[in-house]
Amino acid sequence: MRLFKKTGNTMHILCFPDEEVEKGEYLLIEDEKAHKSMIVQVIDIEFANVPGVMEEMLRSSSIEEFVEGEDDDPLDIMSHILYIQDARLLICKVHGTIVNGKLTSESSWLPSRTHSIIRKIPTESLVKLANIEGSLPIMIGETRDSFPLAIDAHQLDGRLSIITGKKGTGKSHLSKILALGLADYGAIVVILDLNGEYTSLGYNQDGSKNRYYDKIKVLSPGKTFKVTLYQTNLYVIMRTLVYALGLPGTSAREFRHIWKFLEKTGRLTLHDLGEAIQNWKCNQHVKDALYSRYSALVNSGFFTDNMAEAISFEKMLRKTERNGGGIIIIDLSDTSPSDRQMVVEYVLAKLQEALSQWKIRAVFLFAEEAHLYLKETYWDDIVTRMRHFGLFTTFITNQPNTIHENIYRQADNVFLLNFVNEHDLQIISRAARADAETITSIVRDLPSHHCLLLGKVVKDFPIIVKIRSLNVKTMGQTRFFFAEKREI
Amino acid sequence: MIGQLQYETTPKYSFPRSLRDAGISKRIVELSLNSMRTASGRIFDVNNEELASFFTERVDDKYQLPIKDEFFPASIVPLRAIRDETPIIGIDVSSIKIGVTDAGAIYAVRGAVVTKINNRYRYVRFGPLPFHITKENIHEVFSELSRDLSVRFHLSPYIDSQIHLCNVIEKRLRAYVSRLVRRSIILWDGSLTAGMQRNLVNDLSKMLRTARENSNIVIGISKDTSLKFIGWRITDLLNGYKPPCLFEIRSPSLSHAGSLRVLGRIYVARLAKGGCAFRLDIDKAIPREESVVAVEKLIGNEMLYQGYPETLRLAHIYSTFTASDVIGIQRLLIRKYGLKLVAHDNMHRTLFGPYGTRLGD
Repeated sequence: MRLFKKTGNTMHILCFPDEEVEKGEYLLIEDEKAHKSMIVQVIDIEFANVPGVMEEMLRSSSIEEFVEGEDDDPLDIMSHILYIQDARLLICKVHGTIVNGKLTSESSWLPSRTHSIIRKIPTESLVKLANIEGSLPIMIGETRDSFPLAIDAHQLDGRLSIITGKKGTGKSHLSKILALGLADYGAIVVILDLNGEYTSLGYNQDGSKNRYYDKIKVLSPGKTFKVTLYQTNLYVIMRTLVYALGLPGTSAREFRHIWKFLEKTGRLTLHDLGEAIQNWKCNQHVKDALYSRYSALVNSGFFTDNMAEAISFEKMLRKTERNGGGIIIIDLSDTSPSDRQMVVEYVLAKLQEALSQWKIRAVFLFAEEAHLYLKETYWDDIVTRMRHFGLFTTFITNQPNTIHENIYRQADNVFLLNFVNEHDLQIISRAARADAETITSIVRDLPSHHCLLLGKVVKDFPIIVKIRSLNVKTMGQTRFFFAEKREI
Repeated sequence: MIGQLQYETTPKYSFPRSLRDAGISKRIVELSLNSMRTASGRIFDVNNEELASFFTERVDDKYQLPIKDEFFPASIVPLRAIRDETPIIGIDVSSIKIGVTDAGAIYAVRGAVVTKINNRYRYVRFGPLPFHITKENIHEVFSELSRDLSVRFHLSPYIDSQIHLCNVIEKRLRAYVSRLVRRSIILWDGSLTAGMQRNLVNDLSKMLRTARENSNIVIGISKDTSLKFIGWRITDLLNGYKPPCLFEIRSPSLSHAGSLRVLGRIYVARLAKGGCAFRLDIDKAIPREESVVAVEKLIGNEMLYQGYPETLRLAHIYSTFTASDVIGIQRLLIRKYGLKLVAHDNMHRTLFGPYGTRLGD
């Protein structure tokens, strides 16, 4: 390989056919005279612009179909000509410099064209150099050079992460690996499970219980997840009514009065709330608005007056932390869109309450397709304010346009699976942790179950990894009508 | 008794094997290798601008024939295609300057022979072969290359080594094909003219004679011609006539045209509808009627692209150098002969240091 040119932080390296280099690999440009080595990543591979190739191809393609022949090429020059024609140009991005064995972010120097030696840098060396694994490794999978790559759980702590990729590329699979990895180190993980994909995390593929079984709690709203109004303070119910059920401001003010009245008289039950709304002296429109929301609360099945069947979410969080971490899965698969919003509002409000009062240290929230249950107003709240309380979110989506641009910009880690749609690529290229060219070029060609890791988890060295398999019962499979005819 | 028809089989040729058997390639390869050894370890200057100028077409009849504007009694000859499976053979050779060393220049030559036999096209490519031509070896290289051609090489300060190299290899290929094939139409790229030097004329005459002895007919085809007749470019003379047709340029001034000897009968031909008109030179020793029949066999047995014979077109395509060919050859030279590549602008500086540049350079 030979260094050809440098423009900004882009290096062009000439690579010959007998040198195998793939997109995403790292190269070391060693300049012995300068006592420095530059680390670059191959983000694209093109044919070198060898003059005359077009003529050569036209010459062969237009006539080879009907002309046979032989070459008497005693000096075997054709092999050199073909070698030249297959030369490739590696488009690389500069990622730092090694000086005296230490990694620095310096990229302003220029290695020598004539005497620099360019070689591939194994992922193992890069991981050691950048200290990517850290002290709490979570095994993610294998890199292209068969290195088992683990990320440091510390790099998910206090961070905002995004997992995105087109349908069927393994997003949920990756988030399961991260969630279980975090739970291994004692973290509380809450998963907003839209399709019931995570409900079998406690089981092996053969259906037997796995080592996580006792650490996993699955809550199904209206079934195994019910709450009393008594457990729900005014702040939580107000958020639910305003954001999830769209209660107007005037009616909300009236509801606050009713709630406080019931609280004072010790009658904070679902039944008494209904009666109080009906008997409350107020504008009929307000009363109607309040009663319709009340009916929604009742019909959701999420609220109950029966203390025996109610669950204290806060206690569950505290218990999970005491027991050395675990995963609470909110199964939203059988919940209607409006009930879903109500449940999520409740969960988030309770999390915020518990975190702000230091009842628990921190929670890792995994939110699948959050745009389906999260109000617009909540996005910034989760990313900025709630982060300071200790709520560290990972958004998982196959529709990158549903995540706001400012979320991408603030994301500390991005796990990118394959995308081919130009529009989607444009959106994800807004992630601030890597340059747009790297993202769009590499992600477009990612095979299934391969992920491009960006951000703090890889110390800003984008790395492609094949996600490891997980011995967990799969629940996220699509149901098929012609199931018997499909190969599984 | 039932009469049995006698079919004459179409000749089959194995050009690459025959080339090797004839020793033609062996001797040229040896000369190439010997000349290249003298380039070993030398400074090598690649002038890309000069290379770029190569990739332009040359005018075929570099010899300017002075045709006097006399009356010519000939008339347009309409042609009818004769399909009899006569083999058609096209020959072309290309050369290119690969670079300059501190002792001379390196050229590469490649030849192509394309045959159309039994309705199938086949090609043989010979080369590319690099030659390092220096003041010291120029005489030896060209003398050796010309040995069997009865051409005596005279060192002249005005000689263009590249053209000469190309011509010598082309002559060898033409001579070889004339000897090897039978009852074929052999197409040369260019005209049947030679300089007035006796050996050049002899050389061309010998090749044509060999071809005739083997019942072959040589036709030289010029893509571009600057010949003019009564103020017209000769290829424009056929405008308005229905192709395929032929028109002979009969002019007494043509047999001894200044410093040139014309060994062919000169025609202008438009061989296909919608095609271009070309200058055709046909061996003068072939009777006029037979020459016309040869052209009729050509149009009957050959595919014509824009009126130009496909074998000759393919021979041209196969022999021509592309820029990537040149880079590939340069790579081989640097790797095999340890040539030290320098940028063109730095040649003087490399050789003479601060004394090699003018003020301001």
